[in-house]
Amino acid sequence: MLFENRKQLTALLLPSLTILGLLAVYPIGSVMINAFGSVDYLSKQYQFVGLANFVELFEDFFFIAAMKNTLVFTLVASSAQVLLGLWLALLFNQKFSGRRFALPIIIYPMMISTLVCSSIWRSWYNYDFGLLNSALVAIGLPAQEWLFNPDLALYAIALVDTWQWTPMAFLIILAGLQSIPKDIGEAAMVDGAKGWRAFAFITLPLIQKQLMLAFLLRSIDAFKLFDKVYVMTGGGPGNATETLSMFVYKYGFRFFNLGMASAAALVMLAISLLMTLFYAHRVMKGGKQ
Amino acid sequence: MSRYLHRFFVWSAVALFILPIVWMFSTAFKSPGEIFHAGANLIPQQISLASFQALLNGELPILVANTVFIALSATVVSLCIAFFAAYALVRYRFPAKLDNLFLLAVLVVKMMPPIVVAVPLYSLMNTLGLLNSQLGLVLAYQVYTLPFCIWMLLSFIRDIPLEIEEAAAMDGAHLLKRLAFVVFPLCAPGLVATAIFAMILGWNEFLFSLLFIHTPDKFTIPLFISNFMTEDGTAWGELMAIGIVSSLPMLALAGYMQRYLLRGFSMGLK
Repeated sequence: MLFENRKQLTALLLPSLTILGLLAVYPIGSVMINAFGSVDYLSKQYQFVGLANFVELFEDFFFIAAMKNTLVFTLVASSAQVLLGLWLALLFNQKFSGRRFALPIIIYPMMISTLVCSSIWRSWYNYDFGLLNSALVAIGLPAQEWLFNPDLALYAIALVDTWQWTPMAFLIILAGLQSIPKDIGEAAMVDGAKGWRAFAFITLPLIQKQLMLAFLLRSIDAFKLFDKVYVMTGGGPGNATETLSMFVYKYGFRFFNLGMASAAALVMLAISLLMTLFYAHRVMKGGKQ
Repeated sequence: MSRYLHRFFVWSAVALFILPIVWMFSTAFKSPGEIFHAGANLIPQQISLASFQALLNGELPILVANTVFIALSATVVSLCIAFFAAYALVRYRFPAKLDNLFLLAVLVVKMMPPIVVAVPLYSLMNTLGLLNSQLGLVLAYQVYTLPFCIWMLLSFIRDIPLEIEEAAAMDGAHLLKRLAFVVFPLCAPGLVATAIFAMILGWNEFLFSLLFIHTPDKFTIPLFISNFMTEDGTAWGELMAIGIVSSLPMLALAGYMQRYLLRGFSMGLK
């Protein structure tokens, strides 16, 4: 049985609707209007320009670089996190002494804030005093300009993201592994499936759903990338670590180009919407009991 | 895989994941001179509290107060509002399946990059006179915390058997009475878990505080860390000391939260 009282229902939902309307619906509507117009920053005069902002956007070198970096980062970081998470989950799916102690330690990185992570790793990436270069030099390899080498900087940031968020992929995949009934593994053993074959043909298909969820959740989040870039490289060197979030930030708050910032924001919203719908399609099945 | 190889891999992974955090602690307790001389030394030769002292004499107290106040206020507001909404979504029949549409819209807001709404939000805060104000930041944080709380509470309220409420209704308890004396106590653990996650969201938030807060007396901890890094790149001792202050609440709660992590993170926390 479900309650049916429209007045109560409205009263219960009204506060949420008001807040979300003010802070999400109104701003998104405003972004949509500004994306198709040109606004003079001082006089606030609005003029409809159709798709002009989008045409300019996709011809903009800076935007193309930001788009490419964001997609590369999202793909590289999420894949690395799911693969490493899977490997860790397989290790932790066995009993070993100290497991109760090791599990909380593995998830520490995702408990601390992105700003703290970035501050640790920026120190590690320091050319002169950083731990990583000391280690490289100690084993006879050349020191690296981690954050100042255009070919390396984006991957250096992806490494920080991987350190921080592999634990999350790990937890999701571990939950999947632990939900596999024991007798399935035993039956496979009786049939002679061992090692890699058992893993590829029995375990992997059974945790397919968790692998997908971990990948989607990490992609949706990696796609937002802003904080780490802002404090570690500022988008540099050159355009090497510019992301879509940085693009909207710079056009909106530094260059005061509302049309371009809104058009880019709308592109971001569209991509994020696609990923979210795909995710929801998998999560919302079931609904009310 | 042999038993020894398995143990080797497990503990190497644990060591790799904990190393940056160990380094944070050791650097914060080194004396300013030792940080650069000893390079990769993980254990300080001499425990020094200089970095913490410098912070304590400086901005730390006000930073902690600001961040706690904002995270706590944002959580309380979200939790109250979301509790009613989540209850309605679980217990009421919506016309034309609008409930699913509403939930989907909330999820979209939770998952979208916050920078998407940053420019209009800035204008809105400006119009309302809430720029550089803690109240404004508490309001802006609802973009993160409210969708999160609605989704998270949903799963906890679903766990409450409908029969209990029906019995209370038959005894004549009206909506508010049922909410206060039946639903609220039964999902108290869920409310606590949700509150902790929402607090962490607020405690760690960076983008909106960067955009909406302009004067150091209103800075939050993440905003301070960002400024500190860009202005004084190599004052690692103090940087790591503030990092510890910022991380301690979460590290302390890690054991408790482990149970709820999956529930929280699959709703798209962060």
